Amino acid sequence: MSYLIVGASSGLGRDLAYTFAEKKNNLILVSRDEKDLIATKSDIEIRYKTNVKILSIDFSSFDDINSKLFSDEKMFQNLKGVLFPIGHMFENDNVDLNIENIQSIMFSNYLSTVYTISKLKKNLMLNEDSAIVGFGSVSSLIGRKVNSNYAASKRALESYFESLAFQHIENKINVQYYMLGYLDTNLSFGQDLKLPKGSTKKLSRIVFKNINAKFKKKYYPSFWIFITFILKVIPFSILLKLNKFFK
Amino acid sequence: MKNNFEKKKFYSFDKNYSSNVFFKTPDKYREIEKFSNLSEQIITTGSNFSYSPVAFGNGSLSLILKKFNRILNFDSEKKEITVESGLVLSEFLNFLLKYDLWIPQIPGYPFITLGGAVATNSHGKSCGTHGTIRNSVKSILLFHKKHGWLELSEKQNKDIFDLTIGGLGLTGTIVNITFRLSELKQKQFTTTSNEVTSVKDCIELIKKNNFDDTFIYSWNRADNEKDFGKGFVFKNIINKNSSKNFKRLPENRKNNFFLPPFSLWNKSTIRAANIIYSIFNKSLKNKKNEEIEKVIFPFFGKENYFNFFGKRGFIESQLLISYKKLDEFFEEFLNLYKLHNPIIPLFSIKNMSGKQEYLRFEDNKLCITFDYVNNKLNKKFLNEIDKLCIRYEVLPSVIKDSRLNKKTFDSCYIHAQEFRDKLNSFDRERIYKSELSKRLEI
Repeated sequence: MSYLIVGASSGLGRDLAYTFAEKKNNLILVSRDEKDLIATKSDIEIRYKTNVKILSIDFSSFDDINSKLFSDEKMFQNLKGVLFPIGHMFENDNVDLNIENIQSIMFSNYLSTVYTISKLKKNLMLNEDSAIVGFGSVSSLIGRKVNSNYAASKRALESYFESLAFQHIENKINVQYYMLGYLDTNLSFGQDLKLPKGSTKKLSRIVFKNINAKFKKKYYPSFWIFITFILKVIPFSILLKLNKFFK
Repeated sequence: MKNNFEKKKFYSFDKNYSSNVFFKTPDKYREIEKFSNLSEQIITTGSNFSYSPVAFGNGSLSLILKKFNRILNFDSEKKEITVESGLVLSEFLNFLLKYDLWIPQIPGYPFITLGGAVATNSHGKSCGTHGTIRNSVKSILLFHKKHGWLELSEKQNKDIFDLTIGGLGLTGTIVNITFRLSELKQKQFTTTSNEVTSVKDCIELIKKNNFDDTFIYSWNRADNEKDFGKGFVFKNIINKNSSKNFKRLPENRKNNFFLPPFSLWNKSTIRAANIIYSIFNKSLKNKKNEEIEKVIFPFFGKENYFNFFGKRGFIESQLLISYKKLDEFFEEFLNLYKLHNPIIPLFSIKNMSGKQEYLRFEDNKLCITFDYVNNKLNKKFLNEIDKLCIRYEVLPSVIKDSRLNKKTFDSCYIHAQEFRDKLNSFDRERIYKSELSKRLEI
């Protein structure tokens, strides 16, 4: 049995790879960064004696995905799950971002994930309790001045995963979606964050523990569920007036 | 500095120096390149366990390599391993000992990174026979902001390879290291202790017992003139009859919050502690079996010894003295001791072997360590010891003594200028700098 992890070269993706490998699962790791993938593959194979296949793919390109990820049908014969701890952003992302970069964000964070899931669903259906795991961001809770397109792509992804959950409510595939607050990754380092960061190592263990669970959406760190609730009940007109508190 | 850097107050392990520094923690190879371009001055940081501020400095961006902790290649037949430099010693050994392999030059704390150990050319208890970590390094992958990625070994870029081992991180960021491994079948040691009544006795015993597979070192008293040098010589010998199994070495640090505002070490407490320790050692059997963890990481679990120095910390002076000059050196040392009456909680002796070059703390000499309470009186005493070091061609460790000045350093490290010249010709902009390199003008 194997798991496909997209965005596995660093942060949460890398921790997920180690957690799943430690439990003797074979892995297919995807990332843009080949050098890091090679290092992670060597380390996992040496330490845990599991098989790791690595694919250096630019997830903002359908051509790259088609030619590298889906060129070998056999690779996914024993696929037990797909995980998408992927987050692509630009430092200058706002509502005026150029269209090429908006396209790149939308492709990486939303369209490519949707496309990959659609291609792999038939493989996942062959196994009992297979899983599709998506990772959202609390940045998508409301519109924002910075990371505007990233937030939009993650809100689209959340909606897609909700639809996926409806579709698979009674069949073998567990659809899971983690709404992520601030994590101890380079994406949040150096930023003036008012709330504590969650550990990616701890999250990876939670994801593994829940991989066969039937839940649909989980918040991490868990206190974000309350913040989400508050943000959802406050009318947007009031949120606009409170905008100085939001980035 | 841009405000997207993280900022934190870093302390040297001896607490003599602290500074608010900007840092980045790269997670990918391309981030090492990217972050290196963000600052004109850089220094690479491992676990920051150096007594002296080697791994950070005011104005230098610290690149923390803790996420580069992977094993890249392992060949048990060839006895070679390639690892990333952020891997810590305990994790490294927990992996290797399963294959009855290790490197014998292990510095004494489990969470030191291998990159840090190589950059400081560190040694362990067996340095009398195994020398320093340099003897186990086959090759290095270095990243330099201007020169890019460089493979270093005896065959490739040999000059930079030589500058990098023990080069205090000043040649660039050590990213990967390939080690030549040694066999270690049994993981238990038999420890014997012998009482000694003077420094002279102690040195004789240590010199006589410099064998392979034997770690020999002493614990001596220095709390008063009358008892100066009394103590015990310990020998750790690999127990050939012991099991191949081993207790896993600690991979996580214990939180230790006890830090008094002032030093708990003074003449009375040191005297009391030394008497108790002497009685304790006399009452024990002369021979006992010890796990590898206890032998190679003697201070793990005993961190309160350092905390007892309080917020002002301590000064460690580690000296390499030629066997020929020992008597004269100690005679003058004792004269100064009588005059200044310094507060010394720890005094220890071991053998050292190797060839002194550049900034490396190694030679075929005797290695003597003193820990001092950090106060004015002791600093005055140490200034006098600096003069002795110059007079008797003694080598003081720059990574242990964060008080050392350029004059003493230049007089004792006869190859220091050669190091500076070669480093300057390799890196004209002198990008990689720490507090230590600035203080010693390297």
